[in-house]
Amino acid sequence: MIKLIEKIEGEAKLNFNFKDDKIDFVDVEFMSTRNIENILRDKRAFDALVINPRVCGICGHAHLIATVEALESCYNNLQLSNKAKAIRELTLNFELIQNHFKWFYLTMLPFFGHKQQILKATYPTQLMGKAIAALGGQYPHTSYAVVGGVVCEITQMDIIKIESYITQTLKFVEDNLVKVDSKTLLACKDADALLDFSGDLPEILIEIKKRDMLNHAKSYDRFIAFGENSFFKKGKSLKARVSHSISLKDVKESEVPSSFAKNVSYKDKYYEVGPLARAMVNKTTLVVDAHKKYGDSLFSRILARVFEILELLNHSKKLIDKIDLDEPSYIEPEFDISKLTSSGYSAVEAARGTLIHKVELEEGIIKNYEIITPTQWNLSGGTREKPGVSQKAMVGLSDIKTAELVFKSFDVCSVCTTH
Amino acid sequence: MESNSLFNKLSSRLEELSNLPKLDEEVSISKLVEEKGFSRREFMTWAGAMTSMLMLPASFTPLVAKAAELADRLPLVWLHMAECTGCSESLLRTATPSIDSLIFDYISLEYHETLMAAAGWQAEENLEHAIEKYKGRYILMVEGGIPHGQSDYFLTIGAHGKTGEQSAKDASQNAAAIFAIGTCSSFGGVQAAAPNPTNATALSNVTNRPVINVPGCPPSESNIVGTLFHFILYGTLPALDVYNRPKWAYGLRIHDACERRGRFDAGEFVEEFGDEGAKNGFCLYKVGCKGPYTFNNCSKQKFNQGTSWPIQAGHGCMGCSEPDFWDKMGIVHEPLGDRLYHTTFGGLGADATADKIGVGILTVTAIGIAAHAAISLVKKPKE
Ligand code: SF4
Ligand code: SF4
Repeated sequence: MIKLIEKIEGEAKLNFNFKDDKIDFVDVEFMSTRNIENILRDKRAFDALVINPRVCGICGHAHLIATVEALESCYNNLQLSNKAKAIRELTLNFELIQNHFKWFYLTMLPFFGHKQQILKATYPTQLMGKAIAALGGQYPHTSYAVVGGVVCEITQMDIIKIESYITQTLKFVEDNLVKVDSKTLLACKDADALLDFSGDLPEILIEIKKRDMLNHAKSYDRFIAFGENSFFKKGKSLKARVSHSISLKDVKESEVPSSFAKNVSYKDKYYEVGPLARAMVNKTTLVVDAHKKYGDSLFSRILARVFEILELLNHSKKLIDKIDLDEPSYIEPEFDISKLTSSGYSAVEAARGTLIHKVELEEGIIKNYEIITPTQWNLSGGTREKPGVSQKAMVGLSDIKTAELVFKSFDVCSVCTTH
Repeated sequence: MESNSLFNKLSSRLEELSNLPKLDEEVSISKLVEEKGFSRREFMTWAGAMTSMLMLPASFTPLVAKAAELADRLPLVWLHMAECTGCSESLLRTATPSIDSLIFDYISLEYHETLMAAAGWQAEENLEHAIEKYKGRYILMVEGGIPHGQSDYFLTIGAHGKTGEQSAKDASQNAAAIFAIGTCSSFGGVQAAAPNPTNATALSNVTNRPVINVPGCPPSESNIVGTLFHFILYGTLPALDVYNRPKWAYGLRIHDACERRGRFDAGEFVEEFGDEGAKNGFCLYKVGCKGPYTFNNCSKQKFNQGTSWPIQAGHGCMGCSEPDFWDKMGIVHEPLGDRLYHTTFGGLGADATADKIGVGILTVTAIGIAAHAAISLVKKPKE
């Protein structure tokens, strides 16, 4: 029986089906699409650099980086300077960080009876937006990454500015999220120890424990991440067993008759993507500990996402230290893209998980473009027999409010899902 | 003299507004600003910046300050259509927990799908309630193109299953003013790029009420906030150009107020990203800048609280506040050059001002831009 139709950001519906007062299946339906893949067809390769950031205004930067890397992979031996790589990685980190803040303060907190704290969400978000703008000109929707590098010619002054944005954001974390200095927190190995701290994160974790929700939102305990860079590793984790040899060839997209969002599976199985998945693949001690104690639950998922803020801020500082300003920002590709007949793909870690772009070019014209978004992984609309990741996490719950919380703990976002 | 009568006009508008009931009797914006630790001086500095952005004389600052305090008299309804949420994101970036964001937080958007906590039944009820309760008084801001005609159930949300188009029409009916925020609701946006698979169109094409376009992909937070303040202050619609864009924000070409303009005039161009010219801040025309064909105030207002803007970062403008820029302003990293006549404003963009365009004057100098750069226009051949 359909109990209620509930809406999420963007355009999606959840149809909750109950049996004996417990949710036994949830239908996920996306009601709209903008058809960007269709729009890209027959356009010039570089048009994708303008169009794709607009697939999503929330993680548009990840789409830019995925696009530029997909196009670059069409070349055989395209050169990129380390400086360009580092700068791209920094802007992507900043986008992830600001997304996590917004998710925590705007989406998660209200579920625990707290007032939605817009200012707490916007303050660090703005700092990170500024840091991206300092490199890319504006945020959202920059196009500063081009095939061959980045266009910004940054100076020592810009570096100082960006460092200061990072410091201010770290300070916000220490003053609000977990009230302890970040070094201590980064070194923390025991998830339960967090419960002794004060701050917005510990408060929520304590609340989860108090409300007997430690076992909530468990799914398949299967994680995957394809994006690789100087921080993230590529791999999958099955019940904490990690393997790094995975191939995009085993990723399959399939149509769902009732929805505009396609399902995604790896070797025909549904996998969770996102910060928890990344931490499991990266073997982040604190998160692995939470997982050992509480499994792939609400607790671990929230902890992983918030902890990633701190890790990325910390890693970004190291990245900046390594930038050699004398290196080129851009190295002209050997030949013009209009002469290129080739295909390529890319995978980057966006805020909500692995984002994949695939492109086929014929003399520089896009013949086919495919985008697989993170939300597609977590929200695949499976069947009763084989539910998707978030669907499975909701089965067995007895009230819709909690189900919604569980659903949103995956940071679902339908904006680019239906591209 | 002129500014005197304007001053009086705006004053009496604000007087009228102050007689309207507040949305929430308990709080006031001035109290809130104080509580959040802003001094009166900081508040006035903010008002001063807003005043200059709206192209009003500095002596109008107290009026703008008062307008901010009265922002709680006008409810705001924000609708999402087919879009990427980038405009809302831009809005979320209004200044360091600042006065803009405070005000936006406080007037608290009677209905905003991304920001509000409500969902489902309750969300839809909020919207209907806001529209009913504030009939004729609310400001409607719409983000996103209207997918129109492809399928009956497109963008159907909420328990009553209204289509996006229907919601937009209904909300437009009794709004005090309607603003299309962003290039999508202004002109259709990226989803309307060829072949426009969802048949997306501008908000102005589905309602017969006047729509003010605030394009940009996304528009800067200052253009969004400025639009709101302009309406609070004047109570009337702003002066518009031929694309219904407020002149205070879209009156000048990017090219006219560009920080690299001196380089353009001196014939100093970046020939290739990463070259010496790029390092020295030369003009980006030859690597595809569409600034000469684009009307917006980016160079002055910049983005992310004045941090930067695309041209400052070394990427040319791509004309995001012009209709159909996806299809008409390609190739992205090459100058429009001799394709000038197939572009915005039928090619007039290059040297027409927003005023002249409606009249359709073809200036000889339109060709000037291309010719100017043509001296070394031929890109070096690649192997
Ligand atoms: S062409 Fe572009 S970069 Fe050059 S002066 Fe004009 S707007 Fe500025
Ligand atoms: S510089 Fe041009 S492309 Fe960039 S935001 Fe402004 S109008 Fe849009």
